[in-house]
Amino acid sequence: MSSSTVSVSAATPTQHPFQMKIDMIKPSKAEINFVVMDYLISEGYPRAAQKFAKEANLQLPYDQQDGIHSRVEIRNAIHAGDIDTAINKINDMNPQILDTDPALHFALLRLQLIELIRTCTATANADITPALNFASAQLAPRAATNSGFLKDLELTMSLLIFLPSENLQPQLDELLKPGLRRSVADRVNEALLLSSNKRGEARVRQLVRMRAWAEETARHQGKDLPPALPLGLQVSPGADGVMDDAMVP
Amino acid sequence: MFRRSSYASVAAGNAAGSGQQQNSGPTRSGAFSHLVNSSTGSQTSPVFYSNQARQHARPIDADGHHNSMSTSWGRGGPLPSYGSQAGYLNSYGVGAQDGTASSFFVPSYLRGSKYAEKLEEVHRARLATQRDYRSNHSSNAGSLSTSSSSVNLHKMAPSYRGMTHDIIERAPPFVDEPIAPWPTRWSDLDKYQQLEVEDGGRQAKYAGSQKSHDEAASVRADSPMPRQCGIYYYEVTVVSKGKDGRMIGVGFSGPKVPLTRIPGWEPESYAYHGDDGQSFSNTTSGKPYGPKFSTLDVIGCGINFRTGTAFFTKNGVYLGTAFRDLKTDRQYYPTVGMKKPGETLRANFGQEPFSYDIDAMVAAEKAAIMADISNIAIRPNPSRITDEKTFLHALVGQYLAHDGYVETARAFGEEVNDEARALANDGDVDVGYTEAEEDVDAINRQKIRAAILEGDIDKALKHTNAYYPSVLRDNENIYFKLRCRKFIEMIRRCNELNAQCHPPTPPSKRSTASNGFSNSANTDDYDFEMELDEQLGVHNGAPQLNIDSMDTEDELEDKEAKLSELTDETIRYGQDLKKEFAHDPRREVKRALEDTFALIAYETASNSPLASLLETGGRVPVAEELNSAILVSLGKSSSAALERLYQQTEALVSELAEDGGPGSFINVRRDILL
Repeated sequence: MSSSTVSVSAATPTQHPFQMKIDMIKPSKAEINFVVMDYLISEGYPRAAQKFAKEANLQLPYDQQDGIHSRVEIRNAIHAGDIDTAINKINDMNPQILDTDPALHFALLRLQLIELIRTCTATANADITPALNFASAQLAPRAATNSGFLKDLELTMSLLIFLPSENLQPQLDELLKPGLRRSVADRVNEALLLSSNKRGEARVRQLVRMRAWAEETARHQGKDLPPALPLGLQVSPGADGVMDDAMVP
Repeated sequence: MFRRSSYASVAAGNAAGSGQQQNSGPTRSGAFSHLVNSSTGSQTSPVFYSNQARQHARPIDADGHHNSMSTSWGRGGPLPSYGSQAGYLNSYGVGAQDGTASSFFVPSYLRGSKYAEKLEEVHRARLATQRDYRSNHSSNAGSLSTSSSSVNLHKMAPSYRGMTHDIIERAPPFVDEPIAPWPTRWSDLDKYQQLEVEDGGRQAKYAGSQKSHDEAASVRADSPMPRQCGIYYYEVTVVSKGKDGRMIGVGFSGPKVPLTRIPGWEPESYAYHGDDGQSFSNTTSGKPYGPKFSTLDVIGCGINFRTGTAFFTKNGVYLGTAFRDLKTDRQYYPTVGMKKPGETLRANFGQEPFSYDIDAMVAAEKAAIMADISNIAIRPNPSRITDEKTFLHALVGQYLAHDGYVETARAFGEEVNDEARALANDGDVDVGYTEAEEDVDAINRQKIRAAILEGDIDKALKHTNAYYPSVLRDNENIYFKLRCRKFIEMIRRCNELNAQCHPPTPPSKRSTASNGFSNSANTDDYDFEMELDEQLGVHNGAPQLNIDSMDTEDELEDKEAKLSELTDETIRYGQDLKKEFAHDPRREVKRALEDTFALIAYETASNSPLASLLETGGRVPVAEELNSAILVSLGKSSSAALERLYQQTEALVSELAEDGGPGSFINVRRDILL
């Protein structure tokens, strides 16, 4: 990690005026710490949040514990593919969330269907009836109301035909990747946060987004910027250090 | 933590039920309450204007303006918020010689904007300079009174978490370039000669003779409409339309447009005329635009610099876009023109509430931009394996490691890995976050930080000198701050001991406090516990009071001895400190010394106006500054990627604000960090 922090000025002998403007801005540590704590709590890292409260001399909101733990449990259940548990826990926390957000509910049910299909097709001659039953009982009525849902359902059902297979089309392969679980879990987390307060998204996410927007807009307007604005962050050894260009659409 | 929460919920019934109570307690505990409560108003922004409004205005604000406060203070509500009304209070009846300094006001729609913050900083700096001048030039200004007033001034900008701003720890605001002010009055110079400017520049009256058809008398405001506003807006009330005419024009013009013509008829001038309701841009032929206007009508004029358009309002009603494609490189001054003797116009540049809800327009503009921002896709670059989530993990993880939060970094790494493992059902998926390798430096830095945060400055100094001997040598200002902080910590300890020796006798007021318990209890767990203790004290303490005091008499003597010893020690240390830095020419050093020493003057400093100096929150900036200095001395970047992310965002947004672009509507710190 230590090698990832590169001094800004060392690399370039003559500084771009914009770089000097950047350097003139002095963020307050307390505020950055607040953003970090906000991230740890909203994205569900309770142990880290507790340690951070101690190390950075911050106060943990005292009745935060329940909420964060339930959210972590729900996240873990979705990540593990245990959608039934997740849905039950979501309803325990706030029974209205899924009722008021049909798209989210559908996404969860579809994830459950994918898991069913996965188990049903694990062996060559397994019984696919449970998956079919679940699809017609739970998803089909919802899909009838929304063409987007219908498309998603059709795509998901086609897994039944192709599985088990080594070479799925990319579109189908996506359905089996952990990324889908993760994005559904993120959406659930956001909905849970929104249901208990105004800000559904961690501040740092907004900051990342605002930075991307501002850079894009500024470049579009022809502002005088250095060709790249590195953060000095090495994401992983293979990614040679620059995440920034991955942030710009 | 658990214990408190259960107490609170039992005693207070629906403990976290209503958000507004969050606001009346010490604010720090409410800092994360947005994650807890559904209707918190606790995003309350600091009240900038007056000292006396500072503590008291906050709960009022939150109660009165629950909805509007969450976006920015007072914005969006039809009435100005109470806290900000202090801004108006200052603007009247001020002596002319002091006029510029004390008539500072912020138009309602600019409150909370970056631009307004910058101008406020300039204003405060100017006041501070004046104060310095005064105190240096008046022979009998006691050091006590000047320094306490300086503290009050600094307290004008409190963080709502109460930990960032401190007179000693915080560098004076750095003003890099002159910031254009907004218009405040009609110009005494830039006007037609026979036009009279009255009432501190607010009113313009034509005192000449009747004008011919071509001619008119015009006046411009003292400053151009600043582009940094994004949207600039002012209003004019027709006080009197004069004898038999209403040839009045309201609009804006460039600095060189002749003032003998009604605005709108000359190149680079734009206006809405009262006699025919037409809009005029750069020419004598108008276009049908709105209704006619006359005596007692309120006409508003605004420019949206982002879209390059201008609009007018009449009596609070929006009349639509009047002009498009305004040039982006010109300066436009608010301008009015009239023709008939006695015609009188009164301007409102934001000193008073506007009749049109301009705040809502600005808020809507901002909301649209924020929606653009939240819609931006952070698409992972296909050639790289990273996505937003991995990126955030790395960002936060690197910050924790960089800043020496060793334990947190470890716990975070574990949790992220757990998460990744749970997700990777087959167990072969790349675990995105690799735990930061811990180095000795991180642990040392953590030790030093912990020492400062505990108030043990000596330990921090010892460790720093042992591990990083060059740091304090090279960073004398940090050394000075540490020394000052140590002095403050000593005073703190004196205070604590003093309080133990002379416990404040519980007056009857206290018992009323615990009667009013159900109202105030769930404001803050700390308060709550205090009151709980008091209740217990009332229960058990009263009958045994005598025995108790007998038992502790020895102890008390002991404590008093300790106190006087500590006091002596503190004073000795203070003298040393003064000796060491007395001849330091730097202003901030002088002021810091002054303020710190003023603390001794109070027997119970915790009740003094300087109490904020004693807050433990003041330790944080010192600790962070030292940590940064150590990092620099190790050849590492002083800021982590997360900080650079913030810096870049702020710089980019301000780049987008200079010309009145979308950045004008964004205040990164206030919109995201607070």
